[in-house]
Amino acid sequence: MTVQIFDPTPEPKKDRHIAYAPRPTSLAGLRIGLVDNSKFNSDQLLLRIAGLLERDYGAKTHIMRRKRSAGVPPSQEIVDEFKASCDVVVAGVGD
Amino acid sequence: MQLKSRHYDAPDISEAMELCYAKGWTDGLPVVPPTAERIAAMLKAAELEPDTQIAFIENRQVSVTAEKVAINSVLAGCKPEYMPVVVAAIEAIADPLYGYHGPATSTGGSAVFMVVNGPIARELDMNCGDNLFGPGWRANATIGRAVRLVMRNTIGTLPGVLDRSSLGHPGKYTFCIAENETDSPWPPLHVERGFKREQNAVTVMAALGVHQFSNGLSSTPEGVLATACAQMRISAGTARQPQYALVFAGEHMAIMTKAGWTRDDVARFCLEHTQISLAELKRIKLKDGEADAEDETHMMSLVQTPQDFLVIAAGGRAGVQSAYIPGWGGKAGSQSVTKEIRQR
Repeated sequence: MTVQIFDPTPEPKKDRHIAYAPRPTSLAGLRIGLVDNSKFNSDQLLLRIAGLLERDYGAKTHIMRRKRSAGVPPSQEIVDEFKASCDVVVAGVGD
Repeated sequence: MQLKSRHYDAPDISEAMELCYAKGWTDGLPVVPPTAERIAAMLKAAELEPDTQIAFIENRQVSVTAEKVAINSVLAGCKPEYMPVVVAAIEAIADPLYGYHGPATSTGGSAVFMVVNGPIARELDMNCGDNLFGPGWRANATIGRAVRLVMRNTIGTLPGVLDRSSLGHPGKYTFCIAENETDSPWPPLHVERGFKREQNAVTVMAALGVHQFSNGLSSTPEGVLATACAQMRISAGTARQPQYALVFAGEHMAIMTKAGWTRDDVARFCLEHTQISLAELKRIKLKDGEADAEDETHMMSLVQTPQDFLVIAAGGRAGVQSAYIPGWGGKAGSQSVTKEIRQR
C-alpha cells in the first residue's frame, strides 16, 4: 500500500529577494567601520585590514566597535554609530 | 486538516523509511514515516493549527510552524502527547536570550540540554532516575530527538553547513531529562525560575557534554562540592563564564537534604570555590599574556552569578555520582531559558 510522507524542511519561498547595500566603486576618502566579533585576535586582523585599505586603497579613517559575543548581531547602538560615521563596514567571523 | 508541506509517495513503510534517509531527514537512526494521520494526531494533541507559527529564527529567517514541529516529532518517534513539550522547547531555543545562531552554529558544538518539570513529566513517564542520561525511556529519547530534528530539517542546522561543530557530542542526538521533584532537596527548578509548581515547564541550556564526578567519602555538602568544584575549576567553560548545570543524584541529594542546604547555598559555595587566578589562567593559556605578581591575586569566577549554576536534582538513588555540564560559549552569547508547556 502506498505511503504518503510529508516534508519537514521549509517550503520554498517565492519572490524572496535580499537587497544588498550599494557597493562603492572606490574606497578613496571613505570612512571604514570594523566589527570586532570578540574572538581572539579579531581586532588585530581587522586593524591590519583597515591599514591595507587606507594605505593601498585611499580609505580615510576607521573606527572599530566590539560585539558582546560572536554569535549575536552588533547592538543597535553600534549599527547606528556605523550608519552615522562610516561609509563601508568590514564584518566577518573567523576562528 | 489541510497540510501545506510537500509530500512524496513510497510503495510501503520500509521504502518510506529509506526515502527519509535519501532526503537527508534523519540523524542517522531510522525514523518513523511522517504520514498525514500521524502528523494530524500530533497537532490535535497540542491543539495547534498547522500554520501556527511556533518560532521565528531571526538569523536564518526561518518560520517554524506547528506543522513542521509535528512532522519532525513523528520522525523522532514521539507519541502525540509529547508534542506540547517539543513545542515549548522550540519556543525556548528561539528566545533571544538563548541566541539560537551562536550555539547552533559554533565550532564549540553544543547540544540543547532540556529539563522538564511539572506534573507532565510523571504523566509522560519521563526518566528522572537511574541511567539518567542513558537510553531506555521513549519520552526522554524522542522529545530531545524531535528538537534536534527540527533544528536540522526545518532550521537548516546541518553538520558542516550551519552546524560547524568541530566535535559535537552524543547529547546532540537527544539530551532531555526530568527533575526528580519527589526526592529533591529543593523546590522544582521551574519554581525557582518563576513558575508555579502545578505548571509544566521546560528549561533549555546550550550545553557541552556531561562530566560525571564521584565522591563516596563525604557525608557533607562541603565535601561533595569540594570534588565538584575541583573538577569544574578548570573545565570547558573556564575563563569564558557560561552557565553550568549541576545535576545531583540520589546519595548526594540525600546529603543536601540532611544538611538543609538550599540551591542558593550550593550555588554560592560553588561560585566561591571555583575561583581561579588570572595568573593561572595565563599559565594554562586560557588567557593571553604572561602572568605577573598582580595576576596572582586577581581572582576570576567560573560563572558570573550564583544563579548561573542551574542546580538540578536527578539521577539514580544508588551510587555516589553526580555531574556538571558546562554551558556553551559565554553567558553573553547564550543563556538558559524556561518556557511553560501549554496543554491547550
